[in-house]
Amino acid sequence: MLRIRDASVTFPASDGQEVHALDRISLDIAPDTIVVAVGASGCGKSTLLNAIAGFLPLTEGTITLDGQEIEAPGGDRGVVFQKDTLLPWANVLDNVALGLKYQGLPRGERRERSRRLLELVGLADFAEKPPYELSGGMHQRVGIARALATDPKILLMDEPFGALDSLTRETMQQLLASIWAKTGKQIFFITHSIEEALILGTTIVVMSPRPGRIVARFDTGFVRDFAESGDIGPIQSHPRFIELRQEIRSLIHKPEDVRKGTLQ
Amino acid sequence: MTLAANSQTSFPAAANPRAPSARPRRAKSTDTLGISLVTLASLIALWFLAAHFGWASSLFLPSPAEVLTQFSAVAADGYANGTLLNHTMASLGRIATALAAGIVVGIPLGLLMGLNRWVKGIFSVPIDLYWGLPPLAYLPLLIIWLGIGETSKIVLLSLSTFAPICFAAQAGVRSVPAERINAALSLGANRLQLFTSIILPSALPEIMTGLRIAIGAGLSTLVAAELIAAQSGLGYMIMSAANFLATDVVFVGLIVIAALAFAFTSGMRWLEHRLVPWKGKL
Repeated sequence: MLRIRDASVTFPASDGQEVHALDRISLDIAPDTIVVAVGASGCGKSTLLNAIAGFLPLTEGTITLDGQEIEAPGGDRGVVFQKDTLLPWANVLDNVALGLKYQGLPRGERRERSRRLLELVGLADFAEKPPYELSGGMHQRVGIARALATDPKILLMDEPFGALDSLTRETMQQLLASIWAKTGKQIFFITHSIEEALILGTTIVVMSPRPGRIVARFDTGFVRDFAESGDIGPIQSHPRFIELRQEIRSLIHKPEDVRKGTLQ
Repeated sequence: MTLAANSQTSFPAAANPRAPSARPRRAKSTDTLGISLVTLASLIALWFLAAHFGWASSLFLPSPAEVLTQFSAVAADGYANGTLLNHTMASLGRIATALAAGIVVGIPLGLLMGLNRWVKGIFSVPIDLYWGLPPLAYLPLLIIWLGIGETSKIVLLSLSTFAPICFAAQAGVRSVPAERINAALSLGANRLQLFTSIILPSALPEIMTGLRIAIGAGLSTLVAAELIAAQSGLGYMIMSAANFLATDVVFVGLIVIAALAFAFTSGMRWLEHRLVPWKGKL
């Protein structure tokens, strides 16, 4: 269980004022759930993820994972980045095995475990390839396998499919839903796509910028159907889906913002 | 025709023309290789013609045949206190020693400067100061301090190879993407693992470039230093020959230096290809 309590992050801005990237956020992420944070750029969702990952210190508040306070990055939180962060000098298998190598696992064992993970993400045939021969979608598959290899308590995903084309993106969403159904990992996922949030989240938190706050929270279950059927069509045409999509959209793009022209 | 057939079937990467391997690059370099060879042949042909028709006195431009004769004479009997091999080995020994010193001191110091604010703050001033000076300007000072012997030359050369290597190692550390470091930390890397598995290999391409620059800097400083103060070496041989207007021997020396420079550059490219095949790809 990940507990976020009154988490605030303040940056000094260039004009001498303070930017409240996160303002007293409280959120729980329970096992077997996918919490998706959705919001416009600058709403603090990346800041929140970086704070959970330990890349960024909180100004106030606490984040605990299974009762332990988070102070630095660690192997108990697997991170999947939007940008490709694979090591170009290592082949796909060794990239997946990197975290296991850090743990000091013997070579044979870490290769075997990594191979199983590559099978899970559908890249078993690419184990010996260098990363620069992979496509964007494959990169993210390797990234997911690498983050899962050390069996972290929680998976943090920072707009992992944001740079992919829409077809690849759908395949990756299917893959993630099925991995989640198989492993029951708790996942914190951030995106700027409302559809993606609805398809993947068991809980959706809508964030708004300046100061970064959670303005609404919805519990849905589309991802369970999606993991089972693998078919996005019926979900997207579900009346509840359409209703929620509209509601979240209106929360993110407030009409008064549009009139005032302050919308990003 | 074969291309169309290949692209429809699944081939192993090496045979697949569409795989993003080194294939297109290799095709490109073969193209320029042909052109370069023709250029080289034309220059040599022009030299033959110039010598044959006497466009320039052989005092200024010896014929290829004279140079070849002189080449074997210098190789067998020697010139200016040593055979061609003696002079070449003297020069090579100096540059190898200097390069080793530059690597042994430059890489660790450069890495530390990239990692630590204090180390960078302390060392960047003296390095920036002397690196701006032409080596031959402070050679007289080194001779006053260290004598006319080998030491002053080795120190001079080491100084000229050290700076580019040190700068490159430093730039290499700074070029590591922050996400790559974050990724390693979130996979549980400790500080030592972070350095050996992420920072060092990430810095390697820059370091290799630095080595190539260092060899170039070392070679030009070497010959210049030998022209001024030496009893052996290719630069010394050229200078002695020039004093007696033995232009053919000057040519022999130049050809050997050009061949050495070419061999160094090719060797470094080969090494780069072997050690950092991912360079520029990610």
